[in-house]
Amino acid sequence: MSDVFIGFSSVGWREAVMYLVGFALIWLAIKKEYEPMLLLPIGFGAILVNLPLSVVWEHEGAAGFLKVLYDGGIANELFPVLIFIAVGAMIDFGPLFKNPFMIFFGAAAQLGIFATMIIATLPPFNFSLKEAASIGIIGAADGPTAIYVANKFARDLLGPISVAAYSYMALVPMIQPPVIRLLTTQRERRIHMTYHDADVPRWLKVSFPVVVTVIAGFVAPISVPLVGSLMFGNLIRESGVLERLSKTAQNELAYLVTLLLGITIGSSMSAEKFLNIRTLSILAMGLVAFVVDTAGGVLFAKLVNVFLPEDRKINPMIGGCGISAFPMSARVVQKMAAAEERGNIILMHAIGANVSGQLGSIIAGGMILALVPLLAG
Amino acid sequence: MQAIIEALKDSSPAVQALGVSVGGIIGVFTTLAAFFLLIWGGTRIGRR
Repeated sequence: MSDVFIGFSSVGWREAVMYLVGFALIWLAIKKEYEPMLLLPIGFGAILVNLPLSVVWEHEGAAGFLKVLYDGGIANELFPVLIFIAVGAMIDFGPLFKNPFMIFFGAAAQLGIFATMIIATLPPFNFSLKEAASIGIIGAADGPTAIYVANKFARDLLGPISVAAYSYMALVPMIQPPVIRLLTTQRERRIHMTYHDADVPRWLKVSFPVVVTVIAGFVAPISVPLVGSLMFGNLIRESGVLERLSKTAQNELAYLVTLLLGITIGSSMSAEKFLNIRTLSILAMGLVAFVVDTAGGVLFAKLVNVFLPEDRKINPMIGGCGISAFPMSARVVQKMAAAEERGNIILMHAIGANVSGQLGSIIAGGMILALVPLLAG
Repeated sequence: MQAIIEALKDSSPAVQALGVSVGGIIGVFTTLAAFFLLIWGGTRIGRR
C-alpha cells in the first residue's frame, strides 16, 4: 500500500523549496523576460529533477533522459562548445577593428573573475582553489565559459554557478548603472567620442579568427576548445561563402542547444546539491564578480584618460562594456550616455569593448584552466 | 618560474588564488595585446 503513495512520501521540504525555485525562475523568464531562453528551461529542469523518485535522472539503475543529456552534453562539454560556434557566428568584430584599442577593456573587465576567486578562498567561505576558480568565472559574464570551467573543476557546483551566471547576465541593466555612476562624474559620462567608419579589409576579417585561434593555442592550449569553437563560428560568418551554415549556426543550432543546455543545467539542481549555505554564498559572490568587473573596466578607462589629450578622452562608461554580456552591456551604456546628454552616441565604441569582452572572458577562462591545475593538481 | 610554482603549491588556497590571479591578469592582457597588434597591423597594411 505504501508504494501507492510513494510519490507523496518520498519528497520533503527541500524538494518543495526547489519547486519554488523552479517556479521563480520560470516567473522571471515569462513575467520579467530575464534571459527567458535559459531561465525557463532551467526552472523547469529544476522542478523535473526534484519530483518524486527523480525518474528523469535515474530510476532502477537506468539513466533517465536528463542524465543522458547531461552525460552527452555537459559532462563531455559538448553543449558549451556548440553554443560558442553559434555565438561566434553572431559576432561582428567590425566595431573592434575600427577602434582596436577597445580590446584592452575586454581585459580590464575580467578583474572580477580573479578578485572573486581570491575572496572565495578566504574565511568564512574557505572554498578550495578549484571551487573558487569556478565561482570566480561567473564574472566572465559568459554562460558557456562558466559551465565549461565549473564542469572541469567543481561539477557539484555546476547548478548554482550556471544559475548565477545567467541570472546576473540578465540583470546587467540593473547591476551596471549604479556601479558606473558611483565611479564616474557627470562630466566624464558626457564625454563624446568620434567614430571613424573606415573600411576593414576582408582578408583581415577572414584571417582574424584563424590567427586568434593559433595565438590562443600557443598561449593557453587548454583554451582551444572555447576559442576555437567561437572562432570557427566567426570564420563561417566572415568567409562569405557559407551563408546558410552561418544562419543555421546563428538560429537553429543556437536555439536547439540552448534549449537542451537549459533543461540539462536545471537537472543539476537537485535539492541535496543546491539547498545549502554554499549556494547562497556562490550567488552572492557572483554578484560581487559582476560589480568588480564593471568597476575594473571603468577605472581602467579613467586611468587611460590620464595619459590622453583632452580631445581624445574616452568616455569611461565604455570600460564597463568590457564584460562579456553582449550586446546588453553596450546597450545599457549607450542608454546612460543618451540620458546624460541627448545626442551623445557612443554605441559603436561600446560594442567594440563588448565584443572584446567575449574574447577576454574566454582567454581568462583559458588562463584559469591552465594555471589552477599547476597549483591544485 | 618553476620555483614560484613549487612555492605556491605549498601555500594556502588564498595565496594560490592570488598567484593565479596575477598570472591570469598578465596572461589576459598579453594575449589581447597580441590581438590588438594583429588588428592594428592588419588595418595599417589594408590602408596602403
